[in-house]
Amino acid sequence: MNKFLLPLIFLILFIFESLFIQFLPSYLFDSQKILIPHFLIVSIFFLTIFGNEKRGIVYGLIFGLLFDIVYTEIIGIYLFIFPLVTYVVSKIMKVLQTNIFIGSFVSLIGVALLETGVFEMDKLIHITNMNFMNFLEMRLLPTLFLNTIFIILAAYPLKRQFEKFAESLRAD
Amino acid sequence: MPQFFLNKRLIVLLVSIIILVALIGFSLRERNQLSWPEQFIKDTTGWVESLVSKPTQYVVGFFENLQDLQNTYQENKQLKTRVDKLVSLEAEVQRLKKENKELNDVLDEKKTLSDFKPFPATVIGRNPDRWHEIIMIDKGKKDGIKQNMAVMTAKGLIGKVKNVNQFSSTVQLLSAMDPKNRISAFIQGDANAYGLVEGYDKEKKLLLVKRIPYDAKMKKGQTVITSGLGGVFPQGLLIGKIVDVKPDQYGLNQTAYVKPGTNFYDIQNVIVIKRAMTQPDLSQLGNEKEGDL
Repeated sequence: MNKFLLPLIFLILFIFESLFIQFLPSYLFDSQKILIPHFLIVSIFFLTIFGNEKRGIVYGLIFGLLFDIVYTEIIGIYLFIFPLVTYVVSKIMKVLQTNIFIGSFVSLIGVALLETGVFEMDKLIHITNMNFMNFLEMRLLPTLFLNTIFIILAAYPLKRQFEKFAESLRAD
Repeated sequence: MPQFFLNKRLIVLLVSIIILVALIGFSLRERNQLSWPEQFIKDTTGWVESLVSKPTQYVVGFFENLQDLQNTYQENKQLKTRVDKLVSLEAEVQRLKKENKELNDVLDEKKTLSDFKPFPATVIGRNPDRWHEIIMIDKGKKDGIKQNMAVMTAKGLIGKVKNVNQFSSTVQLLSAMDPKNRISAFIQGDANAYGLVEGYDKEKKLLLVKRIPYDAKMKKGQTVITSGLGGVFPQGLLIGKIVDVKPDQYGLNQTAYVKPGTNFYDIQNVIVIKRAMTQPDLSQLGNEKEGDL
């Protein structure tokens, strides 16, 4: 399999997140709900679950650092939380059966963990002053909804791609 | 017990928490400039993003144009009535401008607070996690952009330049929660009133202009502009219109809720503004002893 396909997929998703938030019709923002795309981390979860665990964490680390430098300008938060959540997801999957439904569900839990973790850290360094109930209602639930749609659309192709990738790793 | 401390994963976790705290501390301190690896990565991704973002903008713009066509007839009617008024207004503005220039010449004032030089730029990206309200634009140090310059759209002020790279820069929007994000504002009315733009109400989508004297009389619909007294922004950039006025917690000041002229979630093209009048260095303001303190 082509060596560069995997980084390319992640890179495209990385840029797509920013474009998605920029070009989403503005009336969706005017309402009280805040939708955050977490497409990149969802596909990293899928790589961990269906492909290779170690690769998943390494990609989490690399793209966490990229995310921090390019988008937030505060290095550390995503760099720390991307690999951590990926690790937690891989530990959960050790106990559970690996199939597409459970994988998708665990990825959603991972997204929720990520959002909450980032929220708590940002609150700690005074980036936000939102309270937890508002966060739950305005941000977490709409975000989970958006990412569920993404998972439904992308779960099967991602799974197939990463399984192929895992096979090619084993063959080496 | 010894087994617990020898646990490799625990040590990795602890070390990474220490690194995390150190890195956050490093990036939260006041920085005049990003380090060169950061600048390099930002410029590279900025270039890739502008490759994708600019064609997308054309496509989105096309569909927006189609939507606009639907109510052209109505708008045309309304606009025609306003054009008539505009002609007389324009004549008056011309006259006032000329008069102003002559008076300034008499006073021998070459630069005023309201003079500025605009740099147009295109938005190429936005921070996807919406905690930090940051957008990326496609002009950087090479184009003459500097830190802390004002950024606006045709409809009003949106923020300031946060960091500059060689070919791109990041803009922090007014809606970001940052104690350093304060802008001296001026409320246009019969009597002059000054305040500070401090913070943003996320639920109501309104800017808060605080520290207005308690006796200042303000009405709904009054215009708020930058005062140019902060030292960085020029005078007279539109911030928004007053929606509501409330006394603050102790009744010593008033807080005005201001509806920003621009929708912060629909920004495509921006203008970066360089003030013509330079500000004196801090070192020149005080004597050297104060500088040491």
